[in-house]
Amino acid sequence: MNFQIPIGPQHPALKEPISLRMTVEGEVITDVDIRLGYNHRGMEKLAEEKTWIQNIYLVERICGICSHSHATCYVQGVEKLMDITPPKRGLYIRYLVSELERVHSHLLWLGVAGHEAGFDSFFMYTWRDREIVMDLLEMISGNRVHYAINTLGGVRRDIDEGQKAKILKGVATLRKRSEYYFYIGANEPTFVARIAGVGYLSKESAIALCAVGPTARASGWARDVRKEDPYAVYNEVDFEVATADSCDVLGRVVVRVKELLESYKLIEQMVKGLPAGDIAVKAPRKAKPGEVVSRYEAPRGENIHYIKANGTDKPERLKVRAPTLANYPATVEMLRKGFIADIPLIFAAIDPCICCAERTVTLIAAGSGEESVVRMSDLRRRAITRHQNAPVKRNAVWPL
Amino acid sequence: MTDTELIEKLKADLGGKVAEIAHPAPRRLFLKVAPQDLIAVTTRLRDVYGVVFLSTISGVDNGETFEIVYHFSTPETDFNLRTEIPRADPHIASITPVIPGAILYERELQDMFGMIIDGLPDPRPLVLPDDWPAGNYPLRKDWKRVRPEEVIPGGKS
Amino acid sequence: MLNKLARWSRIRSPWVLHLNSGACNACDIEILAALTPRFDVERFGILLKATPRHADVIIASGPVTRQMRDRIIRIYEQVPDPKFVIAVGACALSGCVYRGAYNIMGGIDQVIPVNMYVPGCPARPDAIIDGVVKLLGKL
Repeated sequence: MNFQIPIGPQHPALKEPISLRMTVEGEVITDVDIRLGYNHRGMEKLAEEKTWIQNIYLVERICGICSHSHATCYVQGVEKLMDITPPKRGLYIRYLVSELERVHSHLLWLGVAGHEAGFDSFFMYTWRDREIVMDLLEMISGNRVHYAINTLGGVRRDIDEGQKAKILKGVATLRKRSEYYFYIGANEPTFVARIAGVGYLSKESAIALCAVGPTARASGWARDVRKEDPYAVYNEVDFEVATADSCDVLGRVVVRVKELLESYKLIEQMVKGLPAGDIAVKAPRKAKPGEVVSRYEAPRGENIHYIKANGTDKPERLKVRAPTLANYPATVEMLRKGFIADIPLIFAAIDPCICCAERTVTLIAAGSGEESVVRMSDLRRRAITRHQNAPVKRNAVWPL
Repeated sequence: MTDTELIEKLKADLGGKVAEIAHPAPRRLFLKVAPQDLIAVTTRLRDVYGVVFLSTISGVDNGETFEIVYHFSTPETDFNLRTEIPRADPHIASITPVIPGAILYERELQDMFGMIIDGLPDPRPLVLPDDWPAGNYPLRKDWKRVRPEEVIPGGKS
Repeated sequence: MLNKLARWSRIRSPWVLHLNSGACNACDIEILAALTPRFDVERFGILLKATPRHADVIIASGPVTRQMRDRIIRIYEQVPDPKFVIAVGACALSGCVYRGAYNIMGGIDQVIPVNMYVPGCPARPDAIIDGVVKLLGKL
């Protein structure tokens, strides 16, 4: 007997409106239909009516968590169109803020994953640590989110010696705390058992469905734009691409935790190696006709902007593809054959930033056509009790 | 293989199917193909050159024609395939038999430009709301929105 | 007598529903950050509830997209009286940068009546808590 259950658009699990309609048979999901469009704000059309500089602020507000990635991807592209090269110091500051943003985004996600798995103390701990990063970002740029530190030709604000010392101190504290979380992960069998084996995505499926970011890297497919297409400073600093082989939610947690450690290394290298000089060059008002493809590694995956100019001071076409949209076909694949109880966890594991994906879960009974609305909080409670009563998977191992 | 060697190999291999190959910046190749050769070129790139990752599909409204750019990438370089279809008859074949992950991007093209993609397994609208009037394609250059009057509660309009 | 008790408990411990009508998420993460140990609203008795039927106060963010408009009205009607609406963030006030886009209504007050406006892009958690407290002070 198949049922279809709707989830969304307003529900407490995800902070964004999205509607999922799942066809279920008992407890097993057979099909998923994702309805987007609740967050569609028409930005690509709006971008054609604003000038190049005004678009920086528009593009930043595509997403609140990865705002700097969109702004940087856009500014990289437009600088190529206008044929200007920012000075080294400006580039280092810009990518330093990028790595700080990656740290804050991964800590946020770790908290959300813990919350979905029923581990609320972990949520509180990681978000408390995230406040350290928010303070650093506020010190550098003036705002906790939407830093607006990019401009065409460089950055807008400079860092002095006192701020550099504070950044290094903050990163040292965070590194100690992150290592404590790995200790929890290695020694907490119920947490590992809860997330192992959930949301399986094989390497062939990940490649065929064009998955990006930690979702693809956890299936053993090592693609990272910072290594393949090194923009600006990434070919001068030393880091590794994090992968895992277990193809499930545990692998995704491991990949993000490894990336946190790599980001701390990168931040220290960039702060210690900050060159002297100017922070920006002057940019012209109009761009020469041409087109550019700009790619960037956001915390969630590969971000791509395609910008076309026609010689005036407004863009001809701005096309944005944010990483979460690329992960949707992979999510549908992961949810099939899964249990209803695992829906919040699987969906949270791709680190959904639905506002990036343009921007909106229903379970429908495929036999009788009956619709029943189930709240995400009920699903989460069901999931927690179900896993409390199931036998613990003693052989699940923390592969770090 | 450097970019120039790759361009020579592509020209020799695909010959007449590819009208021109532009190389404006390192790691960026722009190939132009005719709409009817699209599936053949994509299959050849996937099988021989290992091009499996599609980043996105962009549509551009050029007045008389629609231009569609398929952005692929490999660890060595980026391939951007460009085709043009006439505005009066905007049909193009779907590449989902070759690259299954292209489905969402093609549905979005249908929504935003009014192009008709033949052979899509799931041709429903993707991003526009349920009560959107049919026939309105927002990203076409000649489509303008007329905003309704806003009422400011407790103040003047 | 019972009315006075109900009014006292509503002011002392309002239960909150979080509604996102198409925003970029920055305000929503700041609303969630208000629960975390740095700002900690739970010590004031403010609980984040999952369902509209349990809530006293709706905290709404985001410029209203066309798809969400009917859903917002439906959710507003599901919240039992007396109810209050707080519009958080510049998008909920007037649309922020998205003003003029084809899919945007332009602020929460075009759809449901609003009692308190909290500006900011995004609004800081301290400002959100300040807004809730000021609203309750007026009751």
